[in-house]
Amino acid sequence: MSKSLIRKAKNVVNGYSSTQVLLREATSNDSDGPSVELLDEIAERSWDNVSFFEVMDMLDKRLNDKGKNWRHVAKSLTVLDYLVRCGSDHCVPWAKENLYIIKTLREFIHEDEMGVDQGQIVRVKARELTALLLDDERLQEERSLRRQNRRPRRR
Amino acid sequence: MSRFDLDVERTVRKACSYEETAPKRKHVRACIVYTWDHKSSRAIFNAFKVQPLAQDEISLFKALISLHKILQEGHPSAIVEGIRNREWLESLGRIYPGGGGSGYGHLIEEYVNFLLQKLKFHRVHHGFNGTFEYEEYMSLVTTSNPDEGYEAILDLMDLQDTIDKFGRLIFSSISSGRRSECKISALVPLVSETYGIYKFIMSMIRALHNQTGEDDALKPLYDRFCEEHYRLFELYADCSAIKYLTSLIKIPKLPSSAPTLEASEG
Repeated sequence: MSKSLIRKAKNVVNGYSSTQVLLREATSNDSDGPSVELLDEIAERSWDNVSFFEVMDMLDKRLNDKGKNWRHVAKSLTVLDYLVRCGSDHCVPWAKENLYIIKTLREFIHEDEMGVDQGQIVRVKARELTALLLDDERLQEERSLRRQNRRPRRR
Repeated sequence: MSRFDLDVERTVRKACSYEETAPKRKHVRACIVYTWDHKSSRAIFNAFKVQPLAQDEISLFKALISLHKILQEGHPSAIVEGIRNREWLESLGRIYPGGGGSGYGHLIEEYVNFLLQKLKFHRVHHGFNGTFEYEEYMSLVTTSNPDEGYEAILDLMDLQDTIDKFGRLIFSSISSGRRSECKISALVPLVSETYGIYKFIMSMIRALHNQTGEDDALKPLYDRFCEEHYRLFELYADCSAIKYLTSLIKIPKLPSSAPTLEASEG
């Protein structure tokens, strides 16, 4: 519990915007993954130009985080994957431009104090996301499918 | 510190430290990401050049693994910079002629040999990236100019042979225990490279077959392809037995018999 309190304090001290706070929440070091509501909210905000850059800036930071924070990396991949499928039209070009960041995570390793390799989840996620981004047809299909199933988005 | 102002020299030094382990992925990755961020690899190569690599076999071997990774995954400028520095690379191969204390001498020699051949290939044949990821337009080039295509296939096969030889050398030098992780980690870039080359050769041969229809002329190529297929099959089978490798990368599964010339899916 205290951890999330500290995070809230950090949010205030570092002066993060509400979007950035959302993203920090979604990619935190807690053991459970981000909720769908949270992911939806972030995807919704990616339509706004200012918060789009805020989101991507923070994601970039999280994706390049230290091995100790492997949860940051894993969850950032989850968020990015969601954005690529359901986010604004800017998300896909951004991800393609920065593909090398994701690609190089395919060999991510982190051993915790017990000597257990926690990198597996990051490697699998990075591999899947890379495959998706390289497959334009599937990506188009995924995106149009999501669009049909959801209420029309505001611009 | 943001990822843009990276202390290149410190990162490189950490990637090729003295410990007999795999080069730490985070440092190698930092180098790779740096080349993309700055669209230049000069700083990275300069940092490698000032390392005291001649003092320790293990750090030299780790430096070679890191360099290979950077050539593979880095910005295209890494290959250009590598070609520019091939004399320096060659000099690295002469530091431990035929052996050395901890048995890395031969491996280093062979690794340098292979890297030089790889760079030479990239210098002659443009349009391939570091891991030989399949790109449609390359096989189109092949079919529009069969002579050039034939040559490219032959050169690719030579490269494949060198990698195979090097892979065998690594396997023969591995002993059990944690310490061999350093040697095993050299297999990681080799697996991705051989598979890329394999897929390229296959699609190029098929494209040539479709285009020219002259099976007699293609026969020697195809025979050699089959031969390499079986060796690669064995190499991957050996790799699949190493837990460190299987957890880290996906080792491709080849069919037990070589594919035919008729293009099918994949």
